[in-house]
Amino acid sequence: MITPLLLIAVLGLGLAGWFSARAKARLLYTGRGSLAAVPAHHGAHTAIWIVAPALLALVLWSIVSPGLVQSAVLADPAATHLPAMDMERHAILAEAVTLANDPSASAFHEQSSALVEPYRAARNYFDLLGALFVVVVAFAGGAYAYTRVRATFPARTRIERGVMLALLLASLIAILTTVGIIASLVFESALFFSYVSPIDFLTGLHWSPPQGFGPNLGDRFGAVPLFWGTIFIGAIIAMIVAIPLGLMSAIFLTQYATPGLRKVLKPVLEILAGIPTVVYGYFAALTVAPMIRDFAGMMGKANPSTESALAAGLVMGVMIIPFVSSMADDSIAAVPQAMRDGSLAMGATESETIKKVLLPAALPGIVAGVMLAISRAIGETMIVVMAAGATARLSADPFESMTTVTYQIVQLLTGDQEFDSPKTLSAFALGLVLFAVTLVLNIVALRVVKRFREAYD
Amino acid sequence: MGFLAIVISMVFLVFLLFTMLRNGIGGLDWSFLSGSDSTEADVAGVWGAVKGSLLTMIVTLLLSFPMGVLAAIYLEEFAPRSRWVEWVEVSINNLAAVPSIIFGLLGLAVFINFAHLPRSSPLVGGMTLALMTMPVIVISGRNAIKAVPPSIRDAALAIGASPVQTVFHHVLPLALPGILTGTIIGMARALGETAPLLMIGMRAFVTTPPGGVTDPASVLPMQIFLWSDEIDQAFVRNTSAAIIVLLVFLLAMNGLAIYLRNKFETRW
Repeated sequence: MITPLLLIAVLGLGLAGWFSARAKARLLYTGRGSLAAVPAHHGAHTAIWIVAPALLALVLWSIVSPGLVQSAVLADPAATHLPAMDMERHAILAEAVTLANDPSASAFHEQSSALVEPYRAARNYFDLLGALFVVVVAFAGGAYAYTRVRATFPARTRIERGVMLALLLASLIAILTTVGIIASLVFESALFFSYVSPIDFLTGLHWSPPQGFGPNLGDRFGAVPLFWGTIFIGAIIAMIVAIPLGLMSAIFLTQYATPGLRKVLKPVLEILAGIPTVVYGYFAALTVAPMIRDFAGMMGKANPSTESALAAGLVMGVMIIPFVSSMADDSIAAVPQAMRDGSLAMGATESETIKKVLLPAALPGIVAGVMLAISRAIGETMIVVMAAGATARLSADPFESMTTVTYQIVQLLTGDQEFDSPKTLSAFALGLVLFAVTLVLNIVALRVVKRFREAYD
Repeated sequence: MGFLAIVISMVFLVFLLFTMLRNGIGGLDWSFLSGSDSTEADVAGVWGAVKGSLLTMIVTLLLSFPMGVLAAIYLEEFAPRSRWVEWVEVSINNLAAVPSIIFGLLGLAVFINFAHLPRSSPLVGGMTLALMTMPVIVISGRNAIKAVPPSIRDAALAIGASPVQTVFHHVLPLALPGILTGTIIGMARALGETAPLLMIGMRAFVTTPPGGVTDPASVLPMQIFLWSDEIDQAFVRNTSAAIIVLLVFLLAMNGLAIYLRNKFETRW
């Protein structure tokens, strides 16, 4: 409520600081070389010193203040009758907050309406306090910088130091994200593994997560059927579709297509990669899956199910084609022209050259591309959620419905359940396995590509 | 043989687009485009979801674009050769290939369970997608910066510009079309993304469009997913129509990226 106003105020102060510092610096100008930095840099320096600390203070305050408001409300006499139970007390407090924001909201607990007034009072008080804090910080920063406006002060160097700090911080976000992923996955998985032993989880053959806790948890969290489903759909069926089609497309595009044709065909092929996975999933469920069910019926399978590993795998394969094709394209293009010319000069035909010289030479790159494609396929979620099914099954029959790691993660986390139950936590353990496997595939593939490039450079 | 392989892919693509058009074109009218979600297939519309997508994309862009560009500049222009910087590079390359659902798990664990930000809001969705989009922007940004010839930098430095001035006044403007192309492609990917948003609970049933970034919202791909689960056959039309809307948006974004690339691409 008060935040936008405060933001405008801080920016206004910054602008004022910019103009006044620039004016002060202009007065100092006595001739060529009399100032270490141009007046505009002094202005910008002051503006940064006003805005940056004030924004930091604002962020800090918005993190701290909800806790302060809550403790103020709890200290109010109206709060003495609140139940000691954490859950109930939180519910009542949350309701009071909703009521304060929107008087027409209906109250479920009687006590919450009594807390509305104390809450409003506390919030207004702390909002004002926070605003004061931010403005004081802005003025302090501005005062510091304004007193620095002197003829010898290197304002530009200081600004550039600040810019470098911002650049460094931005590039650290990537590391923070990686660390955040690993930390959150490992932390929640460790909680899960305190209920279920990792050995049971990784080698158990039976997957049916129970509600709540219950005995013999280890027997019900065996993830092998999920791993099998993931590999069968993502690494076998999808690759049977994607590798030949992607590879042949790449060979055609690089070796046979005229430049004009290539210019048209390549973007069209890339459209396939740009279609959102949820659209593929819907297409798989709506059109491909019934076709495959009818086909399975024709093949003499009794009661074929609508959801099948084949439907999900086929569509996923098509989705991966452009990816395999562009990876293969790159590695074929990396093979030196001299090798091709040499083979043709020896009298080999065009197709012999491709089969006997180009492909073997490009093989490491192609293999790396396939590994990246697999890592993408096993992490793919929406297609399997919409077309593959929920039954954990160890079977090699592509017409059966099968489930995957990603499907189970979605399934486990989208219901309404306690966050700390083994059932929910197991999703993080599955996520950890998925992350580890894709990470290894990616690192190995990138290594291979790098070494392969170096070999021909 | 090779041509056949491409033809198979094309046939699949045409078949997919044709199916969606046949099922969905009848459902595309003004009330569908301006309405919000409903349990009645005839009343339900996409505007609520489109607005949710819009808010989410704004948050994503505001976070990932500055961060991505700054990180790309640092890595390409200023970073010293050190172990530390190598770690940053490795982690960016890996983040670009991490399955999107893992980012959803991160968002759930950090933004919702740890920071207690509002569940199913465009704010959390946008932040999660920003983490996912940032590596894409960094990688394309680095390539664009790398393509600017060193003579430009040398000329600027020779007439007395500082390294920071050289980069921000000369290198960055020349690299900007390339960076923008990469950003648009990354944003298009984020717009079509569903799995991470499922994790942070952006599957709220909202009958009014969200008013701000902290209101519960749904996004366009999520709306497609939710409708595809409905048993009522009438929702097939809605789902396909929503897919057409999503594809039109994506096509427009990719078209813009290609236009930018062709218009501003300079061969040095």
